[in-house]
Amino acid sequence: MGKLMKYEFRKTMFSKIVLLVITGVLEIVFLAGVFLNWDDGLGWGIIGLTLCAIIGIFYIGIESLMVFHRDLNTKQSYMLFLTPYNSYQILGAKVLENGISIFLAGCFYAALAALDLAIAIGYLGGLKELLEMIQIFLEQLEITITFTTVDSLLFVFEVLASWLMTVVTGILAVVLSATVLAGKRFSGLVSFLLFFLIAWGSSALMNRIPDTLAVTTSYLLSILAALACTAVMYLISGWIMERKLSV
Amino acid sequence: MEYNAAIPIYLQVMTSIKRDIVTGKIQPGEKLPSVRDLAIQYSINPNTVSRVYRELEMEHVCFTKRGMGTFVTEDTNHVVQMREDMARGLVQEFLAGMRQLGISEEEAEKLVDEYREKEKRKSGC
Amino acid sequence: MLECNEITKTYGRKTAIDHVSMKLEPGHIYAMLGPNGSGKTTIMKMIVGLVKPNSGSILYRGVPVNKESRCEIAYMSTEPYFYSWMTAADVGKYYDDFFEDFSMERYLYLLERMELTPDMKTKTLSSGMMAKLKIAVTMARKAKVYLLDEPLNGIDLLARDVIIRTVIEECGPDVALVISSHLVDELERVVDSAIFMKEGRLVLMGEVEELRIQQGKSVVDLYREIYGHGGEA
Repeated sequence: MGKLMKYEFRKTMFSKIVLLVITGVLEIVFLAGVFLNWDDGLGWGIIGLTLCAIIGIFYIGIESLMVFHRDLNTKQSYMLFLTPYNSYQILGAKVLENGISIFLAGCFYAALAALDLAIAIGYLGGLKELLEMIQIFLEQLEITITFTTVDSLLFVFEVLASWLMTVVTGILAVVLSATVLAGKRFSGLVSFLLFFLIAWGSSALMNRIPDTLAVTTSYLLSILAALACTAVMYLISGWIMERKLSV
Repeated sequence: MEYNAAIPIYLQVMTSIKRDIVTGKIQPGEKLPSVRDLAIQYSINPNTVSRVYRELEMEHVCFTKRGMGTFVTEDTNHVVQMREDMARGLVQEFLAGMRQLGISEEEAEKLVDEYREKEKRKSGC
Repeated sequence: MLECNEITKTYGRKTAIDHVSMKLEPGHIYAMLGPNGSGKTTIMKMIVGLVKPNSGSILYRGVPVNKESRCEIAYMSTEPYFYSWMTAADVGKYYDDFFEDFSMERYLYLLERMELTPDMKTKTLSSGMMAKLKIAVTMARKAKVYLLDEPLNGIDLLARDVIIRTVIEECGPDVALVISSHLVDELERVVDSAIFMKEGRLVLMGEVEELRIQQGKSVVDLYREIYGHGGEA
């Protein structure tokens, strides 16, 4: 299955390189802002990098859906489905490659943010006071947020896991439109609506996690629930493909 | 080689090989190509080639040495015989064609003589 | 070795394959004949699992076709299907990665024979060159069953000879080859059996040399009888 994943990565390599290059350029702008006391650069760097992280991770998921759609609905599909692998393996390679990409990108941007923050605090110093100010401001509002590193990391993972879950929901919708709904009228629209229905259902499930739990526990539960939903939808998609898919 | 698609291809290939043997293009005792090589050479199905060899063997035109391949018969008398058979076949065909046109054998003979005279004069001057 | 039992495939209201049963045996080259839309492509795709039948079964060595059977069955589609970023060398690498029976050495040899080079980009190949590339990569596998869908389409006469030669080379006593075409003439002497398809049904299957012996009919003659015209030469 490693070979399948290799080619999945190859299909999305170009945009990932572009993302890295843009990030690199923005990082240079940010660092120039820090070290050369270039306020505009600092501002643009921070905004740019933040947007890059959000849009980048968003795009990695969206692109995997676009590739999957192409892999089912064009002649390219033969490349995948002629290989001696079954639908579970072919789809599994896709989900795994995308999941790893999303998590690596998330870790990469989280690490970069931490590093940049450390550099900025170390060099400028001013930000430290800013953070303390925020903390004091929040305390005045009598909101006690114990903001630990573990929790913030878990928060990042939770966002990433639910994004992966959304992507796999999309995969299920694409599978449905290419199999059960194939050749029927409005199959595109119906699968689009199905996507929202499934997404709504799974998020409703996620909301059942009680609020009364400690922050850490609730994050952990959310991550587990998202990954479980991802697995279930992957299995359903594979099952349908194995029986119904004609490319 | 051009084929007539309505006549069994193995017969056409057999005739071609026999012609090569009779004209000395393939010598008595010579090894014939393997089934696959002959199939490639004639651009035909390997099963057809197998059949060609089988039929040629039955006519004692060639024989198979186990593990060595197929060889043309070493019996030169048989080759002479074959040559006569093929010639006789052509004569038969020719006369049959003439008969269909309502031409008797004597008339046909005269036509052949006349034709040969004409050809001789043409090449003579 | 390969057996189709009453397979049927419908697309919406249209029946593409209508209760087709047939058996393919090793050591034979089959011509699958019929006009466009008669179901040739769909049958081939079902044998490799690209298309799932609505009913009926396809068995390879007695087992329903699955991912393992794809290790031994090589299919070449009419349409180009390689990823657009690939060069001829990438295509070979891809097959080498996924098919144990693929020989890179033979692939490079076939490319050369087809007058192609490994650095050629698939995106810019002419249709004739693409057809040759598809044949080269498919025949570089040492498969047990080859399904070639219209391999002679859009190919010049010289290249046709090369392809037919390659096909004959691969045909051994343990190999079955199926070649679909509407160029009946070209296949006449290469195949030993013919499968005639019409409107999704199998109308006739038989050994062509027997047809010539018993009825004095060529495959082209039969084609004319079945379809009312002689196909395209």
